[in-house]
Amino acid sequence: MLRLIANSLLRRRWQSLATILGVALGAGLLLAVFLLYRGFDQGLERGRQRLGADLLVVPSTATVDPDKALFAGSPLSVYMDKRFADEARKVPGVRRVEAQFFTQSLHLECCSVGIETRLIGIEGQVIQRLASMSPEGRDLLEKDEVIVGSELLGGIGKSGALIELLGEIFRLAFRLEATGTSLDYSILMPMDSARDLAAKSEALKPVWQDAGDPHQLISALLVEVTDPGRIKEVGRALEDLGPLKVIRAADTFQRFKRLMDAFVFVLAAAGLLTALGGVAYLLGHFSSVAWDRKGEWALYRALGATKPRMVQLVVGESTALSLGGALLGLPLGYGLYRLAFARLASQNAFPFIPPGNALLLAAAVGALLLYGCIGFLSAAGPALRVAQLEPALTMAQGDID
Amino acid sequence: MSAHSQIVLEARNVTRSYGAETILDDVSLQVRAGQVTTIVGPSGSGKTTLLALLALLLEPTSGEIRIDGVDAGTLSDGERSRLRNIFYGFIFQSAQLVGSLSVLDNVLLPAFLAGRTRERREFAHDLLDRLGLSARASFLPHQLSLGQKRRVALARALVLRPSVILADEPTNDLDARRASQVADFLLSLPGEGFALVLVTHDRALAERAGNRWEIREGKLTPPVRAPVLHLDLPERHVSETANNETI
Repeated sequence: MLRLIANSLLRRRWQSLATILGVALGAGLLLAVFLLYRGFDQGLERGRQRLGADLLVVPSTATVDPDKALFAGSPLSVYMDKRFADEARKVPGVRRVEAQFFTQSLHLECCSVGIETRLIGIEGQVIQRLASMSPEGRDLLEKDEVIVGSELLGGIGKSGALIELLGEIFRLAFRLEATGTSLDYSILMPMDSARDLAAKSEALKPVWQDAGDPHQLISALLVEVTDPGRIKEVGRALEDLGPLKVIRAADTFQRFKRLMDAFVFVLAAAGLLTALGGVAYLLGHFSSVAWDRKGEWALYRALGATKPRMVQLVVGESTALSLGGALLGLPLGYGLYRLAFARLASQNAFPFIPPGNALLLAAAVGALLLYGCIGFLSAAGPALRVAQLEPALTMAQGDID
Repeated sequence: MSAHSQIVLEARNVTRSYGAETILDDVSLQVRAGQVTTIVGPSGSGKTTLLALLALLLEPTSGEIRIDGVDAGTLSDGERSRLRNIFYGFIFQSAQLVGSLSVLDNVLLPAFLAGRTRERREFAHDLLDRLGLSARASFLPHQLSLGQKRRVALARALVLRPSVILADEPTNDLDARRASQVADFLLSLPGEGFALVLVTHDRALAERAGNRWEIREGKLTPPVRAPVLHLDLPERHVSETANNETI
């Protein structure tokens, strides 16, 4: 039977190829949409988990997109006096304050993915929080140690490895797990080390001429409050400390989540429509095939093919075409996903967790199974009609092409 | 050829109607192993319908088709399909080869459907050799002449060594030489134990085949029995035998 199916498909090679390509495009699109959907979904969840702060405090002059700053971890190339950190800690209702210092971006020739690598100075409390995001994490960083994002120094970036940054040698303390944010493309180091590097940077000298000594500056404050019900009140108190802008994470999160939900809905709808389109396409195709080739099927019946065997033949052809198309569609879909991912990552637009190998494998197997089922189901109706063909039809027909 | 050889296929009082129109009316016929049964008649007389009924491609409106004594009406569709596969060899009016299959694969088509391809492959090659088509085993049907296609259909009918060969106008559209070759081959089959049911309006073929049943307006008339002189007996006597026997 397999021989009959293979011969039939090879004989109608252009028709088969067209069907396989049609299925491949559908399966590829579905796979890409699914991977992006999962990446966004996980990214949003991870973004929510890693918030850790109720308020983000930046200089009032900062033109910052709060969505990106909070959830995508965008760097803030703005500076304010570090005394605001100490003053913020004294505000009633504040439980915790973490300061961050963003310095310049790098291009890592060895392992850059075309995305700028950011240097960020962090405080001890942040180090403790980040330590929980890595199995090798630890609570303290030496002055010459750095933490790297999940997408950097792949393969060579083991703990203890030495890396050179802006002419200085640092030791890699640990690597973070994927966060789906620009943190994955960031290098974090003790605040003072970052300030030392920034102070020596020729590129940033004009900045320090305006803003002052980098050792006295910070870029942003992440603030956690003791009572969520008092967020507004604490926010107003922080704004009263000076020319500061306070962004409420909850508001931003809700707005961002609504946006992401809409985006995810569009992706899911696109995936569903793609799958339904595949069903409609294959159903039309196999209905037409069943009609066009009824002479051949009637001959098979006359020569002794049972009804179940006829169903197997017709469904076997459709399933082979669907699986062939889906197999071809897998690399297409993965390529499309990687392309979209690279674009999103370079824009730092959304929190995105790239699906792991297990999910990739499951998605590939799932796409194959789905299209196998679609092929099976779309041919089932035509196959049942073929099985009902009167074998005597073959007595009255001419040659079969 | 004995008139008393085993009956392998039988139609008993078979009628086939389409609505109010009766195509075959109370037809009875016996097909014996190793014997030719020739059915002749004008166009539209019901020859092909009778063949389709004998082949289990159609079901009679009334009456029975019996295969080796078993009423086919009691069989399931699967059992009837299996009988069509292994009990019958079909030669249709047109060769009915599958365009997507090579000559060899067309010959093996019944074996594909029976799941016996490997077992019958060598025999399929032998058949193609006997029919002068060995060199064309890998050809596709559109690369063959009409006569070659008809011979491929012959090989396909024989590949599972069925009990009964049903041939519907097997020399139709062939020139005299090709028709003669096909007839020679077909008429050699009863000698190998096959029962051959031949539907034809080719008078020459019908004359050669003998045992000629005539169908007209749905009624089947048995062969005319002629007196036969046996010269090999010490005393001349007359016995009856079918009209295809040599006098």
